[in-house]
Amino acid sequence: MAMYTKDEIFQAISTVIDPEVGFNLVEMGLIYDASCDKEGNVKVTMTLSTKACPLHQMILQWVKEAVEKLPNVQSVDVEVVWEPEWNITMADNNVKKALGA
Amino acid sequence: MGKISQDFAPPFKLIAPFFILGSIFYLLSSLYLFTFTSDDLSFTNPQVISFTHLFLLGFVMMTIFGAMAQLVPVVLEVGHFGVELFYAIWPLLLIGTLLMVFGFLYSSALLPYGGIVVLISMMIFVGEIFLTIFKVKKLTLVMSSVLISNTFLFFGIIFGLLMALSYAGTISVDISSLLKAHIYSVLGGYISITIMGLSVVLIPMFTLSHSFSMRPLEISISTMTIAVVLAILASLLHLEVLSYIADILALGAMLVYAYLIYIIYKIRPRKENDVYAISLMFSYSSLVASILMLVVYFFMEKETYLLASMWLLFFGFFGFLITGHIYKIIPFLVWFEKFSPLVGKQKIPMLADMVPYKSSQAQFIFCAVGVIIVTIAIISQSNILIGAGASFLVMGAIAFIRSVLYMINFKG
Repeated sequence: MAMYTKDEIFQAISTVIDPEVGFNLVEMGLIYDASCDKEGNVKVTMTLSTKACPLHQMILQWVKEAVEKLPNVQSVDVEVVWEPEWNITMADNNVKKALGA
Repeated sequence: MGKISQDFAPPFKLIAPFFILGSIFYLLSSLYLFTFTSDDLSFTNPQVISFTHLFLLGFVMMTIFGAMAQLVPVVLEVGHFGVELFYAIWPLLLIGTLLMVFGFLYSSALLPYGGIVVLISMMIFVGEIFLTIFKVKKLTLVMSSVLISNTFLFFGIIFGLLMALSYAGTISVDISSLLKAHIYSVLGGYISITIMGLSVVLIPMFTLSHSFSMRPLEISISTMTIAVVLAILASLLHLEVLSYIADILALGAMLVYAYLIYIIYKIRPRKENDVYAISLMFSYSSLVASILMLVVYFFMEKETYLLASMWLLFFGFFGFLITGHIYKIIPFLVWFEKFSPLVGKQKIPMLADMVPYKSSQAQFIFCAVGVIIVTIAIISQSNILIGAGASFLVMGAIAFIRSVLYMINFKG
């Protein structure tokens, strides 16, 4: 049985905020998937709003650190994918509303 | 945080002088306008040439070079070859610019020295960019635009130096025939293609626009490249017909590019009208107005329309595009250096919190009004309006310097 559910990992990552837009990565729709095995090894699949993001490496580090705060997590593997490409429809309604989309 | 690479954000102390000097040169260029009367408004007037170099070298180039220290790794997706070289670029560009500005105004003997110092400064810049590009395994369209634009910059400054040497009497070349090659290489080849390439990365990044075709960019960069090559050939071979074709192609390239920006603007999900957004709206409106003014010039052949077109291109399009991006670039670099290590440890500001609302809005309003008034002044040949426009621009430039210093010194 997995040590943490997808929702619990998403909850942990929701503390990470994109400083440019001011929303967290989960409500931006940038976190595609997350899983954890019974030993506490977490895998996060995510994207970024642009390939040219200058905070690319930092954001991955923040995600890793946010998940590592969960008790008994042994390792965190963050994979960045570009398919499907992120777009605003993936964001939560509150984000779309605030941006005026 | 130890593993985080600094590749995408060079030390701010390296870039800060470019932005501080750039904003001071923006103010000096605005002040310079007070010295003009309607009788001076001619492309061959040394005062106009001096002013053009003050604005383009001191403000446009200085700020673009500083921004490129941060943007090149973002666009090319590799670290700089030697970002420390930028420490040498700004002092040389500063000295070279001043020598050129005073040279055109007071003593042409200064021009070869100014030209050589500017040449060295830009050769260091171009060399560093080329060596960084060599690290890229596969060139995308935007990466290719960096390569193309810097190649044109290389030739543009060589033409410029030859003209400076001839102006001072050191060598003898036909200045008037090289002029078009110099202008096209620098304005069309370097500045315009750099703007085309970088803006399709930066504007969608900040507006969150997605799923637009890059075909218009491909067309505009290719067309502008052909236009610049033809303009250079026309200058060197004295072929008038090539010169006309180059003008039409350059105009077409800018129109296609403006269309692409319109598409990106239209599909943007982020609709807030902050100082960045309104600066870009004014900038691209100025570009369209500049193109229209150029079309009027082609039909009427009255120099004032060409001057007004160039004015709108310089202070309207380049000016607002640069100042708008400064409100994004400086907060990012300062935030990266001062606040990113504190993420997850304490409450930290967002990037938007670091932009001073009042002075940024004041800069936008005063400068926008100033640009419009000076455009009318050029067309109507009004001395009073030149002074009025300059007054607005000076107020705007002071507000801009205040904004730049506020963002640089932001403590949270």
